[in-house]
Parts: sequence; C-alpha cells; structure tokens
Amino acid sequence: MGFFMDGLDAEAYDRQYSDRELVKRIVSYFRPQLPRMVIVATAVVLTAGVDVLLPIIISRSLDTLQNDPASANLLLITSLITVVASLSWVFNMLRQWLSAEAVGNVVLNLREDAVDAITERDLSFYDTFPSGKIVSRVTSDTAAFAQVVVLTIDLMSRILLVGFLLIYLATVSTKLTLVLVTISPFVMGAALGFRKIARDWVTQSRRVLAEVSNHIQETVSGIGVAKTFRQESTIYDEFLDVNNRSYKINLRTGFTFSSIFPILNVIIGFGTAGLLYVGGKTVLSGSLSAGDWYLFIQGMALFWFPLTSIASFWSQFQLGLAAGERVFAIMDAENKVVQTANHVLDQVRGDIRFEHVDFWYNENETVLKNFSLHIQTGETLALVGHTGSGKSSITKLIARFYEFQGGKILVDGHDIRTLSLTDYRRFLGIVSQTPFLFDGTVMDNIRYGSPEATEQEAERAAQAVGGGDWIKSLPQGLHTAVGERGSSLSMGQRQLVALARVLLQNPSIFILDEATASIDPLTETLIQEGLDTVMDNRTSIVVAHRLSTIKNADRIIVLREGEIIEEGSHEDLLAQGGHYAELYNTYFRHQSLEYIEASGELIA
Amino acid sequence: MKSEFTVANAYRYNRSSPVRWIASHLWRHKFFLMFSVVCWLSAYASFSTLQVIIGRAADEVLNPSSDNALLFIALTAIGVSLMDSMSSLTGAFLLETLGKRFQRDAREELYISLLSKSQVFHDRQRTGDIMARATEDMTGLSDMVIPGFIFIFDSCIGIVMPLLFIASIKVDLLLVPLVFLVIYVFVVRNYVRRLNPVIARQRDQFGVMNAGLEESISGIEIVKASAQEAFERLKFRQNARQFKDYFVQQGRIESRYLPLLMYGIAFGLMFLHCMSLYRQDELSIANIIAVMGLFGVWRFPVFISIFSWSLMENGLNSARRILTIINAETDLDENATGYAGELRGEITFEAVSFGYEDGMVLEDISFHIKPGQTVAIVGQTGSGKSTLTELVNRTYDATAGRILIDGVDVRDWNLDALRSHISKIEQDIFLFSRTIAENIAFGAPDASQELIEQAAKEAQAHQFILSFKDGYQTKIGERGVTLSGGQRQRIALARAFLSNPRILILDDSTSAIDSATEDEIQKAIKRAQQGRTVLLITHRLSQIRWADRILVVDQGKLVASGSHEELLHSSPHYRRIFARYDAALPDIESEALEVYMPSEEVI
Repeated sequence: MGFFMDGLDAEAYDRQYSDRELVKRIVSYFRPQLPRMVIVATAVVLTAGVDVLLPIIISRSLDTLQNDPASANLLLITSLITVVASLSWVFNMLRQWLSAEAVGNVVLNLREDAVDAITERDLSFYDTFPSGKIVSRVTSDTAAFAQVVVLTIDLMSRILLVGFLLIYLATVSTKLTLVLVTISPFVMGAALGFRKIARDWVTQSRRVLAEVSNHIQETVSGIGVAKTFRQESTIYDEFLDVNNRSYKINLRTGFTFSSIFPILNVIIGFGTAGLLYVGGKTVLSGSLSAGDWYLFIQGMALFWFPLTSIASFWSQFQLGLAAGERVFAIMDAENKVVQTANHVLDQVRGDIRFEHVDFWYNENETVLKNFSLHIQTGETLALVGHTGSGKSSITKLIARFYEFQGGKILVDGHDIRTLSLTDYRRFLGIVSQTPFLFDGTVMDNIRYGSPEATEQEAERAAQAVGGGDWIKSLPQGLHTAVGERGSSLSMGQRQLVALARVLLQNPSIFILDEATASIDPLTETLIQEGLDTVMDNRTSIVVAHRLSTIKNADRIIVLREGEIIEEGSHEDLLAQGGHYAELYNTYFRHQSLEYIEASGELIA
Repeated sequence: MKSEFTVANAYRYNRSSPVRWIASHLWRHKFFLMFSVVCWLSAYASFSTLQVIIGRAADEVLNPSSDNALLFIALTAIGVSLMDSMSSLTGAFLLETLGKRFQRDAREELYISLLSKSQVFHDRQRTGDIMARATEDMTGLSDMVIPGFIFIFDSCIGIVMPLLFIASIKVDLLLVPLVFLVIYVFVVRNYVRRLNPVIARQRDQFGVMNAGLEESISGIEIVKASAQEAFERLKFRQNARQFKDYFVQQGRIESRYLPLLMYGIAFGLMFLHCMSLYRQDELSIANIIAVMGLFGVWRFPVFISIFSWSLMENGLNSARRILTIINAETDLDENATGYAGELRGEITFEAVSFGYEDGMVLEDISFHIKPGQTVAIVGQTGSGKSTLTELVNRTYDATAGRILIDGVDVRDWNLDALRSHISKIEQDIFLFSRTIAENIAFGAPDASQELIEQAAKEAQAHQFILSFKDGYQTKIGERGVTLSGGQRQRIALARAFLSNPRILILDDSTSAIDSATEDEIQKAIKRAQQGRTVLLITHRLSQIRWADRILVVDQGKLVASGSHEELLHSSPHYRRIFARYDAALPDIESEALEVYMPSEEVI
C-alpha cells in the first residue's frame, strides 16, 4: 500500500512539463525497447483472448455433451483446453520476461542519464538540495517511473479482458449482461470508498510507527544516560504508552483492510444469486442454453477482480508519471557555472587575482561587492572575519564551485572562465572544515585525488604529515578502514588523512577551511606540523580559526561584509587596535598561551 | 541471565528456539487463533457450498421441480455468501488482533531486554540494526500472522475443502487433483529456491547502489575538487548495471512459473475425467458444473501458497533476529546485594588491563586518585583514554587487575549505588527530545524549578536558556531550536550538578568558537570540580594546565603522570604540545623519567 502515501515534495528545480513534452521524453526512453514492448502488448492481448476462451470451450462442450453426447470428441476437447492453457502460459512468460528486460533497460538508462546530469551540476545545486532527495530521485523515482510500463500493460490487459467478456456475453444474452453491468458500479464504488478510508488510516499508522521508532531510537542512543541516572523504568513506562497507542491504531487500520474483501464478496454474492435466478428463469423459458448460463457464472469471477483493481491502478499510474517528471526535472536543472572555453594549462604557478568581483548566492544578499585582491605565487594568506564576512566564498570562487556575477578572476593571468575545469582543479588541493572520506581504507582515501600514484608514494605523503606519528595510532596503519564517511576515524585523524591526500596530489594552490571542531592536543600538534609541510612553497589560502595559523601567515586579510578593511601581519594588525584586534579578542584570545596561563585564576 | 533492568510480573515466553518463541507468543492469545480457524473453516464451507448450489441450480434448470425452487436456491446462495463473508470477516479481525498483539508484545519484550543489557552490548550494536529489529522485524512477525496465516488457511482449507466436496460427489474425481498436488509441491519448492537468492541479491545491490550514490553526493565537493566525476559515474554505472542484471534475472525466473501451466493441464484432464464419467452415466451435467467450479476454487489457494511460504520464512527469520538480541548475554548485572555505602571518591587502578580478543586497549595501568582531585587524561584518539574512564562506573569490567573505589572493588559494589554516585558527561552529549527543564532534572525527576535553575546557573546555562522564547520549557530538537556543543555541554553539567555525584567523568571535546563562550565553559567546569573527584578528558589546554594531575596515555599505556611543571620537565609527548606555543620550555631532565614508575604513585 506504499503507493498511497508516496511523497510529492516539490523542489525549486521542479517544473511542469506539458503533456506533449512529457510523452516525447518518455517515448525517447521507450523507443529502444519498442520490439519488446510490441511483443509484450501482443502477448497481453493474446493472453486475454485465451483466458476468455477457456470458459467458452467448457460451456460449448457441456452443451454438446448434453444435447448430443455421441458426437462429443473428449480427447479433442481435452487437448483444446490443454493447448489453450499452455498458450496462456507461453504468452504470460513472454510478457513477464520481456517486460522485465524492457523495464530494467529503461530504468538503467534513466539512472545513468540522471547521474551523468547531476555530477555535472555545480555546488549551488547541491547546497540547495539535500542529498537524500537527490538519491531518491535517481534510484526510487526512476523505478517508480518504469512501473508505468508495467502498469500500462496490466491495465490494458484488464480492460481488454473485461471488454472481451462483455462483448461476448452481450452477444449471448443481453439480459444477463445487463444484470452483470448493473452490479459493477457498486463493486467499483465500494473499492474506491475503501481506498479513501484506507488512505487516512495508513497515514496515521505511519505516523505512529514513526513515533515508536523515534522512541526506541532515542532510548538506544541515550541508553548510557538512562543507565547513569538509573531512569530505565521512567522511559519504559513511556514506551508502554507509545507501544499501546501504536497497537490500537494499527489494529484499526488492519480491520479496515480486512473488511474490504468480505464486503466486496457480499456484493458479488448478490450478483451471483441474481444471475442464478434470472439466468435460471431464462434457461427455463428456453431462450438460453445451460452452457451459456454456466458461462455467466464463470464470467463473474473473471470479471470482478480486474474491475476492482482498475481503480487503484489509475492513481499508481499518475504517481509513476509524476515520478518521471521529477527525474526529468533533476536532469534538466540548469548549471550556474558556465565555462566559455576549455583551455588546458600545463602548469599553474598559483598567482590569483580578483578584479572588481561581485558575488552573491542569492540576489538579496550580496557577499562580495567590487572585490579586488592579488594573491602572489607561494604566498600564505589567512582570511579572518566574522561569519558571513565572505571568507569561505573567496576560496569557493577560486575553486570555481560557484558562478560570480561581476568582475574577473584571473589565475596566472588566465580568465578562470576560460579554463577546463577538470584540468584546472587538478592543480588545487582543498581541505574543508569537515574533511569527507570515502568508505575504504586510509590508503584509498590518500590516493583518491591521484589514482595514478603508487602505494609507496602515498605512504611517503602520509609519513610527511606530522612525522607520520598519527599512522601508528591507526589499528591497521594505512590499511585501516575509515568506515562510512570516515566515521571510524576521529575528526583530527580525518584531517590528517585529508592533508596527506593533498600532499600526494602536490597542488599549486592549497585551500584550507580550518576546522572549528576541537581536536585533542596531541593530534592538533600533528595537524599543525602537517600544515607546515603542506603550505611550504605553495600558494595557500586559509580560512583561519587557529591562532597559530594566523601567526604563521605571510599576510592576514581582515574581512567585513565582503570588504577588505585591514591587512598585514599579526603583530602589526594587533598593534593597530582596529577590527582585527576586536576579532582577536572575540575568537583567538582563548587560544593564546597567556590565556591558558591565566585561566588558573579565572574563576576561583 | 544477568540483567541490569527487570520488570515485575512480565509474561515469560519460551526463548529456546524461534519456532517455540513464536508458538509461545501465539499460545498467549490461543483463543483468537482457534476461533479464527473455526471462522475460516466456516468461510470455506460456505464458499464450496456456493459451488454446489450453483450445480443444484443447473440441475433445477435442466429438470424443473417447482416454480419457487429457483428463487429458493437464489436466496440460499445469498445466505451462503453472507455466511462466507461474515465468517471471513470475523476470522480476519481475530487474526488481525492476534498479529498486532504479537507485534506489540514482542516489541515490548525486546524493549525490556534492551534496557537490561549492559553498555558493552549497546556499544557493539549499531543503532540501525536495533531499529530494524524493532520495526521491520516486528512487521515481519505481524505479517506472518496476517496475511500469512490467512494465506496458510487459504492454502490448507482452500485446498482440502473443495477436495472433500469433490469426493462427496464422486471419489474417483480426486485422481487428477491429488496427482497435481504432489507434483506442485516439488515444483514450487524448486521455484522458491531459485527465486529467493536472486531477490535477496537484488535487494542488497539496491542498498549498495543507493549508499554509493549517497556517498558520491555527500562528498561532491571533494569529488569536484579532485576532478573525479568520471570515476564516480563509472562506480554508479557498475552498480546500476549489476542491479539491472538481478532484476532481469528475477523476471526470467518468475516468467517460467510452471504451476500456471500445470494447473491449466490439470484443468483439462479434470474435465476429461468428468466427461468420461458422464458418458458412463456416473455423473450429471449439474455435477460437472459443480466439480469444475470446485476445482476452479483451487486457482487462488494454489497461487497464494507461494506467498504464505515466503511470509512464514520471513517471520521465522525476523523471530530469529529478534531472539538473537533478546538472548544475547549481558556481562553485568544489578548486583543488588553488593556494597552500598556512601561514596567518597577515591579511585585506585591496580595493574588494570582491558581488551578484546583482537587486541588490548589498555595495558597494566596503575594510579591512585585522592577524593576531590581533578585528573586530566591526555592522549591521541584511540589511545584508550575514554575506555579508562569507562572502567570506573563499570560500563566495562577490566579483563585483568582491579579498580577500587574507596578501597572496594567496583565489582563488589551494588551497581545502583555505584552508578548513582558517578556521573558521566559523554563526548557526544545526549539530550532527550523533551524540555530543557526535564533534561536537567532527568536524574532527579522530582526536583523543583528552583533547584533546576540553581543547577543551570552553576553550569553557566541559565543565561542562554532564558534567551530562548520558551525558556526552560523549550523542547530540544523542535522547530529550529538547535543547541551548540557548548550549550549542550552546559545543560549536561547542570544535569550532573542536580544529581550531585561524588565522581564526575567529563569527556570534554566541545570547542568554543569565541572567547566569551570559552570563559563560560571554563567557569562551569571549574565549578564542577569543586568538592568532587573529576576525571577529565579534555582538549582544553587550560584545563590540562591546571589539573591536579595529568595522565599521558599512548597506545594503551600510561607513559607519564604528574603535574604540568613535572611533565614539562619529563615527558617529550607533553612538551610537544606546548612546543608550538612560543613558550620557553624547561630543559628535559632525563629520558628515564618518561617511563612511568608505579612506586612513585602509590601513596
């Protein structure tokens, strides 16, 4: 019943496709599967035809048997039934097999295209949309969309079956067909009404299940606290409450679902009784044969099921189309970063020039306005300022993760917009605040940016960071698995791995967004030593949060609201007593030795 | 079995095997089960009777007896189908209740067992795994009952009942159905054996594909920065292709579902049998209609039985997984009869080692802490410093050596008495999704608002709590109220102050973004140190600098111990930390001092 509640949350990149556009798009994915689809459709029609044939053969045989027993060829009749049943199986086999292939191929193509498209997107796209939603569009929505094919075929087969039956029955006896048709709306109505009620109940069931899950999740995560404070029985009582509520609501939902078939059966029971009576009278009056009458009774069974399911198929069909629309929308989302040329550089020295750059993430908040800055080859530049002053934005523009709206950025004199991004970024080494590691070993992660490097080279890079002391504390050295997103390493260790990764890559420009998370003093020391190695002889741009980093920088740029208001060395700037001095007192003072020494008297 | 938490009068289930466990749960509600079987019998009896009635109607049509006979038959048909519906409705309701009760009871049982397990157990379990047991596997259990049992009833009764009716018409006619059944069982078993592994592989592959893509997207910045988009695309393509192969494989197996063909052939043979009996005048047309109708009843149970088997298997697997957790041995127990005196806060480690089979975490650690001292523990991640503190409140038990609190081995303490005097503030501070006041009063639910505020003030939390719109009634984790690490830590400190422990273990790794917050945190921690023993794992140099004693741990060994000044003289490890501050370091005295000497430490 999952399809009842599948979310239709809209995102900014969602768009309304016209039906014509949507159909065109869909057709382009299905065209390669056309031969399979044609065979499947044919098989569906034939299966429906054959299924109808079976009761007809039996009823005709019964008539012959009754009226002229001698002429009936039993073996012929039996082989006919057997052949029909076999054909039905063969057609069904073709249908299932080929539609699995068709669906599989469509989903695969769609997924590949979607992933190709999203990996081309710039970072503003990823900032805006949570990764979970992107993933579900690529994996779940594509599957839901492909169900449209199956559903179309199923729906067709059911409508055909009902259609064939009705047409044939009408030629035999209009009167009985009318009885059958009269009951149909009641059956459909009951099925639809049930859907409406069930939808509400299911929503409530899901909500209460989420509540139970949350409670247990919280208990398991907080079990340490509960045990420390010996509060197990309190949370147990709360659990009982939630669990009982969940039981009651689930039971109610279960009752609703259980009642649908018995209710439909009652309606169908009336139908059967009606046909028994009316049909019997008609046979008695001589205008209908016993065989035809049998056909009607059998026909009813074949007739009801497709009728009740058509109602639910329709909404599934719509959901499938909507899913398709969501997949296309994510493929068609537009890139903001646009390169005007594709120049490949042999070498990057690391001379960076911002010329009157304007930049904003969204139009209401300008981050950089008419911003100019020249970073020289080999320079270590520290950026300091309050949150939102534009420090990180500068580094992101150098990495060309975002598009800027005015001015120019030049790298070694080349307009950044004319560079081949894949090539240019090979010259960049970036360590973010919370370094991301891929599931795999430490070694895999060090080599991530330079897959062509040998293990020895990677090991040398690792040893160069903090004298290699951090490797000893890893259980399996460089072959330690880092876990999902590096979760089995501490934040400090992840930074050390990221530094080794950059060192192996040997970039011309090093960009560091310093961690704000605190790291144990020993590891912190190793990181600082590692940074000294990485920054040596390399253009380095650091969003600084560490006192030691700013002290070591060649130049400190003090930013406020996207403007450079002071620059110079730590001592000079501190002596000036300007914005830097204020920043120092706010963010860096407590990292100084003086503070540490004085803290003994701080409280008392 | 050892347990840290028990519920009085809990219903006892048989936990010796999954099947017995399921049976004992069902036995608890046995009347529901028995009555529902009765309902299902009645439903199938009605349904089969309907086929007979249809046959009788045919008889009536061919050999009319009276004017009203047909009307009577029609009315009987309505009555019978009402009977059918009512029976199956009641039966379903009963099973529904049984299934949901099973789910509720089993979840409660699991929950109690989770509470009773030691921290060691919880550390080794991933939250996701336990969540899967508590939700998906519970659904697996209830699905086994409903619709699983319905399918089973349908399969059993739905197959047997028509057979009985057919036999009552003509025993000879059982030939074809029985032969069909025997072949069917073998064919289906074979089919399921081929299909299930493919479905499982496909499901796993979907997980792999999803997780891989999720990873690429979460790490997109590094992917782009390293220009590895093509590599990530290739990785996804391989995963997606593999998934498609399994998907098509499943379709191929399903498309060759033989029972469908067999049923068709059996239908033909059945008809042949009927016709030949008719020729021999042993069967009437009306009977043929009834028999073919009855054999038609089989269509449904024969196909549904596949699902019933997989639902049973699924339920059994769920039960097995749930039982594994419930039956997992926990290594600690409440030790209700143990020592339960006042606790002063003296801690002694005597040659303590701790480790798992695959390696030692701590080796031969000895030290002594006087009541009221503050001891900072310094070491790299993975050096074992957290584990060291976890031995004190018996989160774990040492594998060798002894830990004495006030001279009494922790294993001889009453667990409740021991833990109620030891408070621990974790690195990842856990707060419940309740109000701030409730969180602070978590260990002392009866505390007055005044006391709560008092504790918050001492923890330097009062100010920022009042800055929230709802103050102390602010619910944590709701509508954008997110607390910074420093704020969470101060709430945890307030929580600890209120329960006033003799020993406080503080795993402090929060970072203050600004100096003002740092001042607040410093004050709160300083306050916490007053009048109690404090074990401090901290990243704050100022806290380390001013601790009464510093323990330096490296790869599970205690490599140095002493005050700040002493260590600056003696420990290269410790000196390295301060080297990057341009502080003038004293000369290192002797390499020999680096090795820890227990004789010095024992008072």
